Amino acid sequence: MSQGAHSQTPPAVELRDMDKSFYGVFANQDVNFSLAVGEVHALLGENGAGKSTLCSVIAGLYRPDSGEMFIDGAPTVFKSPKDALAAGVGMVYQHFRLVSNLTVAENLALGNPEVSMRLSQKELEEEAREIGEKYDFPVDPSARIWQLSVGQQQRVEILKLLYRDARILILDEPTAVLTPLEGEALFRTMRVLADEGRSLIFISHKLHEVKQVSDRVTVLREGRVVGLVETADAEPRDLARMMVGKDLELPTRDPNESIGDPTLVVEDLVVQGDRGLTAVNSLSITVNAGEVVGIAGVSGNGQRELAQGIVGLMKVTGGSVNLEGTDVTSMSVLQRIKRGIAYVPQSRLGMGLAPGLTTEDNLALKQYRGPPYSHGPLLSAGAFESRGAELIEEFDIRGVRPGLPIRLLSGGNLQKALIAREVVQDHCLLIARSPTRGLDVGATSTVRDQILAERDRGIAVLLISEDLDELLALSDRLMVIYEGEIVGEMPASEATAERLGLLMSGSSEEQPA
Amino acid sequence: MSRRFIIEPRGLAPWWLKLLIPIASVIAALIIGAFFLMLTGNDWAEVYTKMLDTAFGSGRGFAETLVSATPLILTGVAAAIAFRMLVWNIGGEGQLMFGAIVAAGVGVWLTESTPAFIAIIAVILAGAVGGAFWASLAAVPKVYLGTNEIITTLMLNFIALNLMNYLVFGSFSPWRDPESTQFPQGRPIIENAGVPEFFHRLDWGLFVAIVVAVIAWFVISKTRSGFEYRIVGDSFDTARYVGIKVPKKVLGTFLASGAAAGLAGSILVAGILGKMDPRSLDLGLGFTGIIVAALARLNPIAIIPVAILMGALNNAGPALQSIGVPSATVKILQGAILIFAVAGEFLISNRVRRPDRTPQDIEVEEEAKAA
Repeated sequence: MSQGAHSQTPPAVELRDMDKSFYGVFANQDVNFSLAVGEVHALLGENGAGKSTLCSVIAGLYRPDSGEMFIDGAPTVFKSPKDALAAGVGMVYQHFRLVSNLTVAENLALGNPEVSMRLSQKELEEEAREIGEKYDFPVDPSARIWQLSVGQQQRVEILKLLYRDARILILDEPTAVLTPLEGEALFRTMRVLADEGRSLIFISHKLHEVKQVSDRVTVLREGRVVGLVETADAEPRDLARMMVGKDLELPTRDPNESIGDPTLVVEDLVVQGDRGLTAVNSLSITVNAGEVVGIAGVSGNGQRELAQGIVGLMKVTGGSVNLEGTDVTSMSVLQRIKRGIAYVPQSRLGMGLAPGLTTEDNLALKQYRGPPYSHGPLLSAGAFESRGAELIEEFDIRGVRPGLPIRLLSGGNLQKALIAREVVQDHCLLIARSPTRGLDVGATSTVRDQILAERDRGIAVLLISEDLDELLALSDRLMVIYEGEIVGEMPASEATAERLGLLMSGSSEEQPA
Repeated sequence: MSRRFIIEPRGLAPWWLKLLIPIASVIAALIIGAFFLMLTGNDWAEVYTKMLDTAFGSGRGFAETLVSATPLILTGVAAAIAFRMLVWNIGGEGQLMFGAIVAAGVGVWLTESTPAFIAIIAVILAGAVGGAFWASLAAVPKVYLGTNEIITTLMLNFIALNLMNYLVFGSFSPWRDPESTQFPQGRPIIENAGVPEFFHRLDWGLFVAIVVAVIAWFVISKTRSGFEYRIVGDSFDTARYVGIKVPKKVLGTFLASGAAAGLAGSILVAGILGKMDPRSLDLGLGFTGIIVAALARLNPIAIIPVAILMGALNNAGPALQSIGVPSATVKILQGAILIFAVAGEFLISNRVRRPDRTPQDIEVEEEAKAA
C-alpha cells in the first residue's frame, strides 16, 4: 500500500496525544498512533512499554485519561469492549475469554446481539463451520473449548471477532502460546485478513515475526512512541535499538567444561495430572552438577507435573526421584527444600511469591525457619529488614517501598526477587520454569546471567521452558517433552529451532539423513 | 474526554487514612441516625446525649460498657483470625454457646471445696475447649473433605442454641437449677469458680479478653508460626510451595478461632452470669463479633477499642426506652457503621484524583501528611 492511499482514506484507527496511567504511573504518554486500512501494523516494545495498554484503550477496555481517538476519521469514545466490538474493533487477549464448558459454536454466539434465542444449535454450527472454512481455520464447531489445544482456542477467539465482522483486529502477543508451525499458520491467516481490507494490530516481542508479517512497525518505549517505520525498510538491529534505547547483546555463553556427577536422577517418573490423566509418563532424566538441561515443549505436555513431581508438590505414582544419591521420592516439600531443591515456578504471584506480603517478607519465605530470620519460635524483625535490604540492593530489585505488597512491583522485579530468594539458599539443584517469560530485554538478560552463574558454580539446572531462544541460549543439553514423555534429546549445539519445533509438535524424530 | 474525577487503584494507603476511615464511618452513621431520629419526631441531640451519658457518663455506666465489650473482644478476635486466613467461620455464635455449656458443666460438676484458683482456670479453659470442639465439627470436614464452612458453621449455631435451650428449658439436666420452680433457670456454678468483680459489675474477664487479643496480635506478627499463618492467608499455593502443611495450619487456625469464641462463653458463665443462662447468651454476640472484626480491619489490637464502641452502643440501647425511643435505634447505628466502614474500604484501596493533578502530586502530599 502506497503513501498516497494512506492519505486518501482516513486511517482505521487514529489516536492523538493519548495519556493513560495506573497506580500513578504513566502506561501511555502523548501517544500518537495510526492504523491504516488493510495493513498489519506491529507494535514492538519491551514489557511495560505500554503496548497492551495502548491496545486495550483502542478496544474499549480502558478509557484514556486524555487525548482523542478517531475510528475511520470520526471522533469516537468507547465506553466498553462491547461498544468497540459493535463499531468493528475487537481484540484477542493474551488470556482467552472463552467459556470452557461451552462448544465453539456456543462461544461464537455468546454475547452476540444478532443471535436470537431461537437460533438452533445446528445453524450456529453451520455458520461457524462456514466462517472457519472461509479463512482456512479448521475448528470443529461442536467441540467444547476445554477439549481444544491452546492454538485452536486462539483460532476460536479470532473466529469470534470475524463472526461479529470486526474490521479492526488486535492480537496481543498471539504467538506466545503457539508452536512455530502454528505461528506460521497464524501469519498466513493474518495476511488473508489484511488483503480483505481488515486492519490488524499485532503485538510481539519477537523481531523476526514482526519482520515477517507486518507492513509497518510502531515502536514504544516507556509508554511513549519512539518510532514508526515501514517494515521493509527496517533493519532488525535498528528496531532493537529503538526498543531498548541501546544495542542488544545476547548473553555470550561459554560451554561448560566442568560437568560433575549426577545431581538429579529421575527414573521412570509417573505423575497424574489434575484430571486424573497420566501427565508424566515413565520419564527419565539426569541433570549433572554444573550443567543446564533444557526441556522444550509446548505448554501442557506435562511440564508443570514434571516440575511439581520433582519438588514434591504433586504426588508421584511411579518411578523415583534421586537427589545427590538420596531417594527423595517420598519426602515432603520441606524435606526436599532442605536437601537443596530450589524452584522458580512459572506463576510468580500465584505460587512463587506471597502477593500481599512485602518484598522483605517474600525474600525470607524459604529461610524464615532459622537464623537470622528467626530464633526459636520468635521472628527477629530487624533481620527481615536488614537482610531484605541487602538482597534488594544486591539483586537490583526496584520499586520497593516500606510496607508495599510485592504484587505491586513490575514483572521483572518480581522475578528478580523470586530468583534472588531461590539462589541465596543452600541448594544443589535449580528448577526454573519459563524464567524470562514476560520480562523485558534488560530483565531477561539479568535472569539468564544468573542462571549461567548458577551453572558455573556447580549447580545442576533444569530449565523447563516454552521459549526456544531461551533454551538455546542457556542449555548444555536439550530434551523435548511431548505428552509427558521425552521424545528427543540432543546437545544444545546440534539443536535448531526447526528440529525442536518438529519434535514439539509431535512429529516423530526426523528422518535419518 | 475530560472528566472531573479519576478513580484509580492506589498502591499503598497512608496509615492515617486507615485510621480516618473507620472514624469517619462512625460519624457518618451518627449523622444518618440523627436523620432517622428527626424523621420519627425525636430530638436527636437528646438521644445522643442520653446514649453518651449511659455508656460513658458514670463509673457504673462505663463498667457496663466494658462488661458488654468483653465478649465482643473475644468473638471479634475469633472472627478476625479466621477471616485473615480466608476461613469463613461465622459460627462464633454456636462456639460461644457450646463453650458456655462445657464451662457451666464443669462449673456445676466441681465440688464446692475446689480452690478458687483451680476452679476459675478449669471453668474458663473448659469454655475454650468447648468452643474449639464445636469449631472442629466444621473444621475437620472442611479441611479433609472440602465442605463449605459458611454453611456448616451457620447450621451448628442453631444446633448449639437448641442444645443449650434443651439443657435448661427442655430437660432436667444437671445444667438446670432444681431450685427454680417458677421459670426454669441454669444451675449456678460453684462459688469458687466465679471470676471476681473489681469495678461495679466488671470482672477480670475483661483482662482475659484483652490478653487474648494481644496474644493473637503477637503470634501473628512476631512469631514464626504467625509468619506461616500470614503466608497461608495470602496464598495457599505459595504456602504449599515453601513447604508449609496448609491443611494443618487451616485446622489449627479454625480451632483457635473456635476457642476464642468459646472463651467468650465461659467468661460470661464464670463472670456476670454465674450460670448458663440461655437468654443472656443468645444475644447475637458471635455475629456482632464479625462486625467488630470487620471494623477493626481484622487487626486484633484494633478490635479492643472497636469492641468497646459496640459495647457502648449495646449498653445504651435499653436506656433509650426510658425517653421513649426504641432500643433498636442502636441496631440501626451498628448496621450503618458497618456499611460505611465496608464502603470506606473502597477509599483505602482506591483514590480519587482530579485530572489536573498528577498521581505524583498526591503521593508527595500524602507522604508529607504522614510525616
